[in-house]
Amino acid sequence: MEPIEGKLESLGKVLREALAAERSEGDDLLQARASFLRDFSRHHAPSSTLDVPARRRARWLSLALAASLGAALTGMWLWPRSVSFQVGESRPGRLGAVIESVTGHATSLRFSEGSRLLLHEGARMRVLSVGSDGARVLVENGILDVSVAALKTRKTRWEFEAGPYLVTVTGTKFRMAFYSQSRTLSLSTQEGQVVVSGACQKTPKKISAGESVVLSCSTEEDLLPPSEVTQDKNVPIPAPAEAQAEPPSSQPAVFPANAPARGEPAWRGLLAAGRLSDGLHSARLYGFQRACQLATAKELLALSDAARLFGDHSDHKEAVTPLHILRRRFASTTDASAAAFRLGLVAFERKHAYAEAARWFEIYMREQPSGPLMGDAFGRLMQARALSGDVDRAREHAQQYLHRFPEGPYALEARGILSR
Amino acid sequence: MGAEPKTITPLPFFGDDAALVRALCAGHAGAAAAFFDRYARQVRAMLLATVGPDDEIPDLLHEVFIVALDRIDTLRDVTKLASWLSAIAVYVGRAHIRTRYRRKWLRLFSPERTRSWQIEQPSSEARQALREIYAILDKMPLDPRTAFVLRYIHGMTLPDAAEACGTSLSTFKRRLNRATEHFLRVARTRPSLVQHLQDGTRWNQ
Repeated sequence: MEPIEGKLESLGKVLREALAAERSEGDDLLQARASFLRDFSRHHAPSSTLDVPARRRARWLSLALAASLGAALTGMWLWPRSVSFQVGESRPGRLGAVIESVTGHATSLRFSEGSRLLLHEGARMRVLSVGSDGARVLVENGILDVSVAALKTRKTRWEFEAGPYLVTVTGTKFRMAFYSQSRTLSLSTQEGQVVVSGACQKTPKKISAGESVVLSCSTEEDLLPPSEVTQDKNVPIPAPAEAQAEPPSSQPAVFPANAPARGEPAWRGLLAAGRLSDGLHSARLYGFQRACQLATAKELLALSDAARLFGDHSDHKEAVTPLHILRRRFASTTDASAAAFRLGLVAFERKHAYAEAARWFEIYMREQPSGPLMGDAFGRLMQARALSGDVDRAREHAQQYLHRFPEGPYALEARGILSR
Repeated sequence: MGAEPKTITPLPFFGDDAALVRALCAGHAGAAAAFFDRYARQVRAMLLATVGPDDEIPDLLHEVFIVALDRIDTLRDVTKLASWLSAIAVYVGRAHIRTRYRRKWLRLFSPERTRSWQIEQPSSEARQALREIYAILDKMPLDPRTAFVLRYIHGMTLPDAAEACGTSLSTFKRRLNRATEHFLRVARTRPSLVQHLQDGTRWNQ
């Protein structure tokens, strides 16, 4: 049989080539990818409820009733328009752009179908996408009051990403707070129900009206209290149209658990007070290396920031040393990932070592795929690739960035990269 | 504002297959895109070999990944992710072939969906051979057909092909022998195929 087997093998090789020529691989992959990712984001959980045999039966039926389905599909083009939104009094909202509430003010967002968001002071978010039934929002940090309008004619679907968590909403009022440093999510529901999934939770969690919850996968000590999130049932979340500038909510200090005690080195107190330049000078007097060995994770980040902003621009050691020490002493923490991002910044801005910068930004994105800095890390990664001459990867990142943040701060640059 | 609905494309996922599977089980959106990008070509090639050229290849490709995602937490050995996916592709391909057999009568109502290749003229001898061979395969029972396409058209080794079919090696070999005998018996009645079987491959793309 061997000779014929050899001929069948060579025949098979020819057939593979002929098969490849029969269809466009790129078109097939593009079409399938879009459908798959759309289904994934819709169902999210790995235990998809998609019933394969039922889908195949549906395909059978669609063939049998092709003419009538064609008419129905034509009617579906009269689909309701997607919602629009405005920020504050009248500023049109832009997808992907950062929305941040400055000190002393809350920022309201109004959506065209009646939903309202109120971003508390110091909080930061983006609207990633809008559809006819809702929107997808990324809460990078801080407190957000949400009032999702229930529509009469169809179901709503709103999704709020907060770090590793996903909060799914179908018409309700609730308050959520996400603290990126500790990766803690606090949530309390006034009306309706929300579902929280993701992170270290094995199963999605429903939080119904009148319930509140604090979720964290962190083992760090500085978990923030949920007191500013828990609501009195009798105190409604104000509709943003009526909202005044709210009194500043109790925002955590930079080092909530680390206020230096009497007798502590002066640099600690100075850093805790936000006096970075003075803190850097004091740490040098104390002994910079000695200070780094003593410092907490947040103090190490502050020392590095101080050196990067106020230090000797020709010497990067003081900007970089605390970050490496942090990644070693506090490995696998969110602060360690923040250090990776900062190492990328130093390599990018100070050393002009773009390949090295790209590596660090990739490390951050790998460690914190939903982290608060991922938008910037992504944009910077794209820039670093372009500047290091890695054109193909720069183009790839540019395309991905535009898909994710079509109106984001690096969108113009991404389009520039793609047009070259 | 009237913005068009935007589809979110997940951020890139960085990690090996073990990290990928963990991330998929956790519902990581970026991992879903990485999963597809890493294995879609392989799965598509498997589907194409199994069912032949078919307008529903993108749908089948989508279906394979949905089924895989649905069953990802049953994967015991992450080092076998690629072969596990191949097995799912074979399963989905075979189901489609069964559906295609049942749908043959619908050609009267939906000619585009189940169009016959005979409408088009072949543009090369290789493509002509492709049609003839798949016409033979379409008349073969499913088990031997699958064995034949995996071994000769997709070019898998015997153990890998047996694993993709979910059978023992000996069972696979029996099916392959049946398929080969059937194929040769019919191929010998087709002049272009006879030429090849006697002289070897002579088509160049």
